[in-house]
Amino acid sequence: MALAQLEPLLRQVQKPGRYTGGEPGSVQKNAAETALRYALCFPDTYEIGMSHLGMKILYGLANARADCWCERVFAPWIDMEALLREHGLPLWGLESGDPIAGFDLIGFTLQYEMSYSNILNMLDLARIPLRSAERATLAPLVIAGGPCACNPEPLAPFFDLFVLGEGEEVSEELLDLLLEHKRNNSDKQTFLRAAARIPGIYVPALYEVNYNGDGTVAAVTPKENAPFPVRKRIVEDLDGVYFPEQFVVPLLEVVHDRTVTELFRGCIRGCRFCQAGFLSRPVREKSHGTVDRQCRALCENTGYEEVSLCSLSTSDYQELPALLEELLAWTQEQKINVSVPSLRIDRFPKEMMERLALVRRSGLTFAPEAGTQRLRDVINKNITEEQILSAVRQAFGGGWTAVKLYFMLGLPTETQEDISGIAQLAQRIVDAYYQHPEKPKGKGVSVSVSAASFVPKPFTPFQWEPMDTCGQLREKQALLRASVGSKKISVSCHHVEISLLEGAFARGDRRLAAVLEEAWRRGARFDGWDDQFQPGLWEECFARCGLDPLFYTARRRDFDEVLPWDHLDYGVSRRFLRREMERALCAETTPHCRERCAGCGIGCKGAP
Amino acid sequence: MQNIRVRFEKRGRAVYISHLDLMRAMSRAVRRAQLPLWYTEGFRPHPYLFFPLPLPLGQESCCEALELRLERPMPPEELLRRLTAVLPEDLKVTAAAEPWSGAGEIHAAQYEMKLRFADEAAAGDWSKSAASLLEAGKLTAKKTGKQGRRRIEKEIALAPLIFHWALSSEGASVLLKAALAAGSTQNLNPALLLEALFDHAGEPLSFSILRTALLRADGTAWE
Ligand code: SF4
Repeated sequence: MALAQLEPLLRQVQKPGRYTGGEPGSVQKNAAETALRYALCFPDTYEIGMSHLGMKILYGLANARADCWCERVFAPWIDMEALLREHGLPLWGLESGDPIAGFDLIGFTLQYEMSYSNILNMLDLARIPLRSAERATLAPLVIAGGPCACNPEPLAPFFDLFVLGEGEEVSEELLDLLLEHKRNNSDKQTFLRAAARIPGIYVPALYEVNYNGDGTVAAVTPKENAPFPVRKRIVEDLDGVYFPEQFVVPLLEVVHDRTVTELFRGCIRGCRFCQAGFLSRPVREKSHGTVDRQCRALCENTGYEEVSLCSLSTSDYQELPALLEELLAWTQEQKINVSVPSLRIDRFPKEMMERLALVRRSGLTFAPEAGTQRLRDVINKNITEEQILSAVRQAFGGGWTAVKLYFMLGLPTETQEDISGIAQLAQRIVDAYYQHPEKPKGKGVSVSVSAASFVPKPFTPFQWEPMDTCGQLREKQALLRASVGSKKISVSCHHVEISLLEGAFARGDRRLAAVLEEAWRRGARFDGWDDQFQPGLWEECFARCGLDPLFYTARRRDFDEVLPWDHLDYGVSRRFLRREMERALCAETTPHCRERCAGCGIGCKGAP
Repeated sequence: MQNIRVRFEKRGRAVYISHLDLMRAMSRAVRRAQLPLWYTEGFRPHPYLFFPLPLPLGQESCCEALELRLERPMPPEELLRRLTAVLPEDLKVTAAAEPWSGAGEIHAAQYEMKLRFADEAAAGDWSKSAASLLEAGKLTAKKTGKQGRRRIEKEIALAPLIFHWALSSEGASVLLKAALAAGSTQNLNPALLLEALFDHAGEPLSFSILRTALLRADGTAWE
């Protein structure tokens, strides 16, 4: 879209910088000379999408090809949506300003179930028919990937294909294939049949789902020789795989605005609630030389003054001391901060800690997830109260005064004792502060407790478990608040109806597509935002479609029930997940992968 | 140590960059340009970047100023070349030199305000009533200020802050050129002047504001 058309709208919206493009690092190409136009869509605001590492990787990767021009698209905020509709302007790519309906490929990243209504809204704003069956031509092909692609069934009718697992290699293969078929003038069906043969690509239209009378899935049947099951892709060599040397540097403040790189993918821990941990197995590390080189290049090219090392459990990175040695040498000189999230400071050399603290005094956060040791054993969260207390004591001595704690309410086997245990743990941290001989002078301590609702997710040992109802969650939140006895402790909880909806879509089947479409038609947008979410609207849409969210959330599934995602294979075996579930019920922990292989089925090369 | 004053344009899409975001964007740009920056001492060292006269959101300018402090001298041409290479096209550096007048010597800023109307007649009418309003010198504007800790609204007279103005119209648009008080002692945001005019003379379909020069008390250019 020409800036002239957008201009009068920009003056009427909040944060117009979300829509202008033109940031340093954004890629300009000649549309006439690029064979493929690719719209990389993030179904949430600019500020959130621009903070996402996966977007940066795929954007860089696609634009590194001479034959492809990849542009960014974010969900316009409510105010901008209204203006676009009023003025009849279609959704455009930030780089060229061109309407994306004319692009070859529309790719969405699925980070969070609550962004699904935004996907439909973006397609509609782009004037692209919502359902795959309504789009007869090869272009635009509408695809998605990301963690929620592990159970994409509620979205199945809208997408032509899903990418399971890590996207770098599949993206290249898919772009190659698309280019070939575009040149040959193939029809969409021919292309999709060919695409389904690329490992990691799931074409939902090639699978038929039948249901039992009680609403459970009877069978998923592949058609036209489509692969069964469809196995996720992983990148073997993280040192060799594409990684950008340049990021688009936003001109307005976004959530995470800094250089970021991963240390490794996967997780050795096996926390039983953690979908990310199971989906991303096995563990594969980048060498510290690679990490250091990537950080240097990115800092040079972006001008960022902060480096963040991210991974699921950073302390498990085996080359961390060597990496920090290297990183701190140049970052200190260039006044660049290094932040290492989810660092377990109890296991860290004190001297290194001081150097890190010197550069960056980031907040002190812990994720015990549960309030008692028993429940932490149930979820296999390997952290003890004593570890937390000794870490905060050390930190208080070093000048920290704020502690953040993350918990979940509604975990399997949870009792009242586990909930009051959360308040007790927070209280012990407050006490530890006031008993500390070297606590910062004249300052109080603040402990903030964040209590999310536990949502059972596919490909975790809890995938068969019932989730608490809204009423149960509300009671638990009230109990937690009542158990807190100090003004130094603040409690924040999740919106229970949002959690319910997240739970329904996380383990939902294809029938939910109708609910989603209906909800979008009636105005559902930005459902993950407390101030936008409309619980009543969703309730009505479920009822209208003859479905009950509790069927998906509150029901205990039999171990032999066919789950809507059973035809997708993320490497961890059902047998292993079931074994883990049974151990959970006996509060039996499972050692991490480096201690002893638990035989999860991924068939790790590095399994000791 | 060397202080350098960079002059730059903020146009097109860059008008949507707020002052706070501009400071961030510039500090990243000077890092990308690998200038030998001087850093403050202390716990969180940061480079010295100073904007003598911040530009409100939504306005264009071809005369912005930014002062940098370098640890060791660098020829201004080299600095200009490096900054040009790392800035988006809508933020264009135009000059760099050691400053010879202080920020306190900014007395006024020159603006060009373009207003677009439905047709020639509407533009002509507006221009006429605006001229008489400006001549009468009775325009006021509401400004929120602070009295101690409290936020208060006060009414200010605009005439003493308007040093010069000229109106012309061409077709369906009106051009208002004005030199308005600027700087740390007294300052008039041109948007405030337009608002006051709109209150009495009506609103145009759209308008844009361009800052064209910074002036000293004697009317010469501030450089
Ligand atoms: S195969 Fe063994 S070591 Fe590898 S991820 Fe699975 S449990 Fe861990």
